[in-house]
Amino acid sequence: MADEMRAHLDMRVEDLVAAGMARSEAERCARMEFGSIDGAKDDCRQARGVSFVDALGQDLRYALRVLRRSPGFALLCIGIMAVGIGANTAVFSVVNAVLLKPLPYRDPGRIVTLSNVVRTPAGAHALAKLISVPDFQDWHDQSTVFDAMSYYATRRVSVTVGTSAEYARLTRVTQEFFRVFDIQPVAGRSFTADEEQVGAGAVLVSSAYARQHFVEPSRALGQVLRVFDRPVTIVGALPQGFDFPDGTEIWFPATALASPSVTQRTSNNRLAIGRLKRDITLPAASAEMTAIARRLEQAYPQSNSDKGIALTPLLDDTVGDMGAMLYLLLGAVGLVLLIACANVATLLLAKATSRAHEMAIRAALGASRSRIVRQLLVEGLVLAIIAGVVGLVVAVWGTRALVAIAPAGVPRLAQAGVDGTVLTFTLCVCTLISVLFALPPALQVSQVDTNDSLQASAGRTVVGGRGRTLRDALVVAEIALTVVLLTGGGLLVRSLLALQQVSLGFRPEHVLAMEATPQNVQRAKAFFTGLLTDVSVLPGVIAVGAINAPPGNVDSTSTYWVDHLPKELNMATAPPAVMSVVAPGTFNALGIPLRRGRDFGEGDAADAPRTAIINESLARQAFRNGDPLGHLIFCAFDSLEPMTIVGVVGDVRQYGPAREASPECYLPYLQHGFNNATLSIVVRTSGDPGFLAETMRQKAHARSPDVSVKATTMDVLVGEHFAAPRFRAILVTLFGAVALSLALAGIYGVMAYTIAQRSREIGLRMALGATAQNVLWMMLRQGGQIVAAGLLIGLVGAAAMTRLLTTFLFEIRPNDGITYASVVALLGVMSTLTIYLPARRSSKVEPLIALRAD
Amino acid sequence: MAKKSADLLPGTLDMLILKAVSLKPLHGYGVLLRIAQISKDVLDVPQGSLYPALYRLEHQGLINAEWGESENKRRAKFYTLTPAGRKRLREETASWNRLVAAIASSLNATPDEV
Repeated sequence: MADEMRAHLDMRVEDLVAAGMARSEAERCARMEFGSIDGAKDDCRQARGVSFVDALGQDLRYALRVLRRSPGFALLCIGIMAVGIGANTAVFSVVNAVLLKPLPYRDPGRIVTLSNVVRTPAGAHALAKLISVPDFQDWHDQSTVFDAMSYYATRRVSVTVGTSAEYARLTRVTQEFFRVFDIQPVAGRSFTADEEQVGAGAVLVSSAYARQHFVEPSRALGQVLRVFDRPVTIVGALPQGFDFPDGTEIWFPATALASPSVTQRTSNNRLAIGRLKRDITLPAASAEMTAIARRLEQAYPQSNSDKGIALTPLLDDTVGDMGAMLYLLLGAVGLVLLIACANVATLLLAKATSRAHEMAIRAALGASRSRIVRQLLVEGLVLAIIAGVVGLVVAVWGTRALVAIAPAGVPRLAQAGVDGTVLTFTLCVCTLISVLFALPPALQVSQVDTNDSLQASAGRTVVGGRGRTLRDALVVAEIALTVVLLTGGGLLVRSLLALQQVSLGFRPEHVLAMEATPQNVQRAKAFFTGLLTDVSVLPGVIAVGAINAPPGNVDSTSTYWVDHLPKELNMATAPPAVMSVVAPGTFNALGIPLRRGRDFGEGDAADAPRTAIINESLARQAFRNGDPLGHLIFCAFDSLEPMTIVGVVGDVRQYGPAREASPECYLPYLQHGFNNATLSIVVRTSGDPGFLAETMRQKAHARSPDVSVKATTMDVLVGEHFAAPRFRAILVTLFGAVALSLALAGIYGVMAYTIAQRSREIGLRMALGATAQNVLWMMLRQGGQIVAAGLLIGLVGAAAMTRLLTTFLFEIRPNDGITYASVVALLGVMSTLTIYLPARRSSKVEPLIALRAD
Repeated sequence: MAKKSADLLPGTLDMLILKAVSLKPLHGYGVLLRIAQISKDVLDVPQGSLYPALYRLEHQGLINAEWGESENKRRAKFYTLTPAGRKRLREETASWNRLVAAIASSLNATPDEV
């Protein structure tokens, strides 16, 4: 542009000179004729129209200038938004890691688990994940839709590495297991055909296990471990990060270990997994498997009647119930974000009204309404982006806190962090909320009547009419959302308290539980007998016992019959019961009351008549009000020998505090085998049970150097059941508390601002005869209307939303009156206080001062 | 040497520029000279409003601009008429003529024609 105009001037000068003028004279003349060059350039720019990018840059620079002008205000908005964005990002990063990220295997959508589908006594269909080996063989041989199918069984076993014995997770897998995941060893090799035979001794280990014990995966090759009381050699290590299932450290061929139950179709004790062929859809595969199940039903009616097959994608199977809880938390934290937005919107609204003057001037100078709205939106976006950046910092810390307090067993939780997906989420949230909180003030203010606003004094006498409705509506929304959050939190807290009040059936205080697994299964019973004797004479020990699974975990279930075995044994219809193997004195040690008969004693030895003790639930179920003592009971545990019932004990909540007690049958440990040769020694102590742990460990190793032990207290074990409900209750209540402070801040801000705006009106009223009392009531009434509206809407909303919480509530109904009443009372009292303070100040205003002030 | 020069009516500058450029591609200064020439020095274009008008017409797509070399070897921007511009010129000329005819006949009305 400059070049063009210079050329123009030069040509004019040339012409003038040619006409006879002096050069300097010509130049002066030409420039005067042309007029202002910059003015011309400006006009040209105007005529050309400003490009969109230029306008945006202009808006951006102006927005930054505005924010810098009122730093306190900007910081307040940014602070509020950062908390909201940070909390949301933290929860989302957990949701992303646990629920959304695909599994780290090749084409993970193809991997499915195979489960049985059985009919429950209530008539519904339920998934039974454990399947039997003969069923699996038929599925494997008859199906055409799988690339690879495998079954596996996993548990903690005692492993001797070098000279020390410890627990490690071992999974027995069939040949095609690694093909299902399409994974190859990163060092060494996979199993050969020979190594799959009975008696073979080859294992694969995880990279983590190899690194932990042998520094490097390659150095692990050829090392010898002792598992199942036999030496095994490490032949390969799997890639870093692979530890399916449940953090497996050692993989062992399933067929290398003789297992008597592999021929029984009724022994459901394996898990199955497979990789679907590439172009097979899930419904098509399910259809084929269902057909196979029908065929098995007809061929084996005794064991397979009413048994279907279900295919579940691995991710869904792993996640299980976590999804519901995590999405609940995301919803709750989303509400907090909405409240924060509403808060910032009211702040911006108040600010915008005070900028009405500035907007009027811009409108008068020719800015279109859309231009002004765009300017304010850009300001909002800048605020949101800065808040987003700060929020990310909050999120990083928040994610770490979430991971720390989360209950155990949440898959992939450790991977939660801020990655690409999370950043994109944050950006979208920032953009969305900037529109949410910047749009109402923008639309509000750009509607301004130019004439009114330019006359500065005009704004004082009447309360900003349109601004007021919007502001009040925002505060009502905040209060309503807070009611919903606080109600949810209250319900969860009451649920947690109810759970903690539940009687477990035993006394977990001062009880140490030490799990022990000796290597030699044959000598296991002798080991435990000796250890029990050793421990019982230790100082501080009140009572000693042993059980295969302490209350809270169930190791073994089966079915039972009383008095006599029916001719046709149908496991599917016989009543189920929990099976526990115990040592004499266990009931005493755990604090389980003996109701009838006697405890086991020395007399219930291996060669003595078979005895059993049942719990009250089983007695009620089998004998109604009769006396069970002396009757016979048959359990499908390890044999169907008749056992005489010699005692009845009180019920214990075997699955944890949330589930009622099931019928249970206790068997003396000397007369039966127990899974894995593992028992937990339970010791009731007079002092702190922790002190005893080390001594017991030494005693155990003194008896058998290669025994793995793991000691903890019953309090800790019981506490694990409260972890998830506590997590939920803490988080939702925390969100509720944040929401409450934001809502109260919103109420206070709006009240204070309205009063400031109406100070002249108040002065007028007082000068005309209103008392301080009248003014106070007027202000209280106005604020009270807002609070009441918010509470009402909030209660309706809470009644609707809390229905979503039903799965998480224990003994508390979603419309629990006490909770609702408490929330209303809390909010009512706090908001009244918040309204009262500024209202009181307003009534103390000196009328003359108010009237004179401008 | 008082020339009888007339001020440009608003809106007519665009028309004149289009006409000037329609005869032959011109740079800004050339347009100025051409208009003076074809109006026989009656019309005086204020130089400050020439370039904004040129940019406006270019933005509206009625003329095209291209850098080139002027007669005295100077780099200058040359403007040409586009087909849209040609059409606009035709329309503007027609409506201008209609307007002028109407005003002329109104002004020349004698008392007995009313």
